[in-house]
Amino acid sequence: MSWITRILPGARSTVDLAPEIRATLDAWRALPDMPLDTPHAETRYVVVNTEASGLDLAKDRLLAVAAIAIEGGLINPHHAYYRSLDPDPAAALAGLLEFIGKSPVVVFNAGFNKRILLNAFEERLGVDLELHWLDAYWLMPGLYSERGLGLAKLADWMAALRIETFQRHHALGDAYAIAQLVLAALARARTLGHRHPQALIELEHTRQQLQRSS
Amino acid sequence: MTTAAETLVGASTEFLKRFSPFDQMEPEALGFLSERVLLGFFSKGSTILSAEMGRPRYFYIIQRGKVQANQSGDVALTEYATMTLGPGECFPIGAISAGRPSTNTYMALEDSFCFQLPADDFMELMRISAVFHVFCTQYIASLLSQSRQQLQTTFSQRAAEQQTMTTPLGHLIKREPIFVTPDTATRSALEKMDELRIGCMVVADADKRPVGILTQSDLLSRIVLPAFDLDRPISDVMTPSPQVLPMTATAYDAALEMATHARRHLLVVDNDDKLRGVVSERDLFSLQRIGLRQIRASIEGADDIESLQHASRDIRQLALNLIAQGIGAEQLTRFISALNDALTRRIITLELTRHELFGVQFCWLAFGSEGRHEQTLSTDQDNGIIFQAAEGEHDAVKQRLLAFAKDANEALAACGFPLCKGNIMASNPDLCLTLDEWKRRFGAWIREPDPQALLNASIFFDFRVLYGNEKIGDQLRRWLLQTAKGNSTFLRMMAHNALSVTPPLGRIRDFVLEDDGTIDLKKSGARLFVDVARILALRAGVEASSTVQRLRQSGQRNSVPSEELDAVTDGFHFIQLLRLRSQHLDTEHDAPGDNKIDPDTLNELDRRILKEAFRQARKLQLRLKLDYQL
Repeated sequence: MSWITRILPGARSTVDLAPEIRATLDAWRALPDMPLDTPHAETRYVVVNTEASGLDLAKDRLLAVAAIAIEGGLINPHHAYYRSLDPDPAAALAGLLEFIGKSPVVVFNAGFNKRILLNAFEERLGVDLELHWLDAYWLMPGLYSERGLGLAKLADWMAALRIETFQRHHALGDAYAIAQLVLAALARARTLGHRHPQALIELEHTRQQLQRSS
Repeated sequence: MTTAAETLVGASTEFLKRFSPFDQMEPEALGFLSERVLLGFFSKGSTILSAEMGRPRYFYIIQRGKVQANQSGDVALTEYATMTLGPGECFPIGAISAGRPSTNTYMALEDSFCFQLPADDFMELMRISAVFHVFCTQYIASLLSQSRQQLQTTFSQRAAEQQTMTTPLGHLIKREPIFVTPDTATRSALEKMDELRIGCMVVADADKRPVGILTQSDLLSRIVLPAFDLDRPISDVMTPSPQVLPMTATAYDAALEMATHARRHLLVVDNDDKLRGVVSERDLFSLQRIGLRQIRASIEGADDIESLQHASRDIRQLALNLIAQGIGAEQLTRFISALNDALTRRIITLELTRHELFGVQFCWLAFGSEGRHEQTLSTDQDNGIIFQAAEGEHDAVKQRLLAFAKDANEALAACGFPLCKGNIMASNPDLCLTLDEWKRRFGAWIREPDPQALLNASIFFDFRVLYGNEKIGDQLRRWLLQTAKGNSTFLRMMAHNALSVTPPLGRIRDFVLEDDGTIDLKKSGARLFVDVARILALRAGVEASSTVQRLRQSGQRNSVPSEELDAVTDGFHFIQLLRLRSQHLDTEHDAPGDNKIDPDTLNELDRRILKEAFRQARKLQLRLKLDYQL
């Protein structure tokens, strides 16, 4: 079948995908969209984090991906995903996509993490994905402004909220730290009146505009 | 399980292992816990758990931050009206194990992360982890001891009010002073002392001013040995210038004076130096903490019913003092039991001097709660006799024993042990039997366990020898254990009977109440433990008659963990303590203790513990139920 996809116009992918991965992608596309105005407690968020060979988007390669789901404001250790791209990058990424579903994705520093993920999805799966992204890097200063940290590194937020993780600079280890950060962010968002994912997306947007205009 | 899950579970394990009791926990149990805990966050100031939230859905282990527990309800208990919990500490233990709303409100003092274990998994963890089970049981037990401390505070306040040594002597004088004038013939003064049963005679002038005193202890050296002429006036033999104290002096002053001058009596005078009364060592004695030893000594030295009545009152006073001093129910009932035993033995000894029973082999038995060493302060007498008689002498011996028993029963009644309404007394011809007759009687109940037989068994099988030939009692005990052990139908019927009353735990409300809005702590409290303990003892061949000993010894023989036994006995003791308490309060109003308690009058903590105690009873019953497939 692979040669057909290559020559047929209108084929979705230019990448040669194993049938089970294609099936995963199809299943993902068939998922209903998640409404963005459901309260946090009923929203499944997925914290996603990456591990790369360096921080240069142009040169460095994605090595591993990790994800932790937050459901009902709780982290369940069984709802977690980690996979290195070797030896099967497409399978690792399809698995991640399957894990994410249509849930809003939270990363810390989208500038790097979102970009490197989207690049990888396009390169390895041949897809350009429509996902809802949230960036804790921008959200945290908006929600915990009294901490006076501004746009701070993950390590600073971890110190401020005394969050610990089992291993830093590891995709899952940092994802665990970010997930805890998100728990705190969601609790704070509720008290500040940001009740659902859409409100957080707007908050993040406002923060970015404020930053640019200042 | 994926690799990611394993890693996150491992992270939880690593965290939990830093804290007790998780560090001691069995690896499988710790694994079970780490796999099932969810991590949540609570902003500073937010409520994590409160009574309004109903049955707790989760058991919380603080990962980071601080949580404050606030006692809710009308009665704040000073000791832990609030309590701050930090990382590694967990809540709510009592509420979640009991499946009822928390009585505390838990609030995050700062931004806090908590591991949350779903309630069902908590129960499972209790089941699979002995360590965790012990931890939770001990936690509940520590609530029990805290409640006891609270009880102590209440009582020491009461006791302090009643018997302070700063009481003015004027308040201690009970009757008009008795005195004679100095010219009274010694003989008539002594006759008066004897007639009024007083230990000393005050000699005062016509204006009631004391001029001398003559006490019992002077008699030997001054009157008997020197063959003093009793017609001479008392002024020739009295101690002149007796020690006097003003009405306003305190009990403490008097005690000091007596101790310094080795006096047993002090004269109290008013502002005009007129005699107003006599304070004896005994009067002060009852003000002080009455010691066990003194009471015992006074019982053993008593040679009439009247002194024993005094001792009986002292026992009640002692019980009150002991609670005030913080003694637990177990020791308390044992003291009461020991003193009541001494009193009963003394009464029997005194009665024996008036009844010719020389050479008769017999023993005096105590049944029921007295047999179990679990008397409270409103216990009827339950007693009987086993005797031996040679052929042909049976009836004659029995008649003599019955006459003696009748007097003993009445003397006991005079000393505060009410006659048994059901006539379970040694003076009842049906309860004054030979060893063989008792065996036949017990045997009939065991062979045909109809309801009356089971009721009888529940009273009589708790016998112990209180006076006389213990060997006869031992023979009956051994025979009983052997016979009952071999009759599983009987034990099964006993079990069935024991399970007919269930702990008054409600599904919706905390407690199921009687029609009058109370809980009967005897019928639906203590008896639940007592009945199960009796069966366990009979089955395991335990000779002890006390409920706690029966539970412990039979439990040990069946390898029940000692922590579980502690929890059960703690529950039993708590109910006994509540019974004693209500009886004490009642006794002071001169009403008989009736074992009823209105749970609404209990404070929050006592209610919680009472519920826990009932849960222990239920657990005990459940074990019996399983054993007999009932």
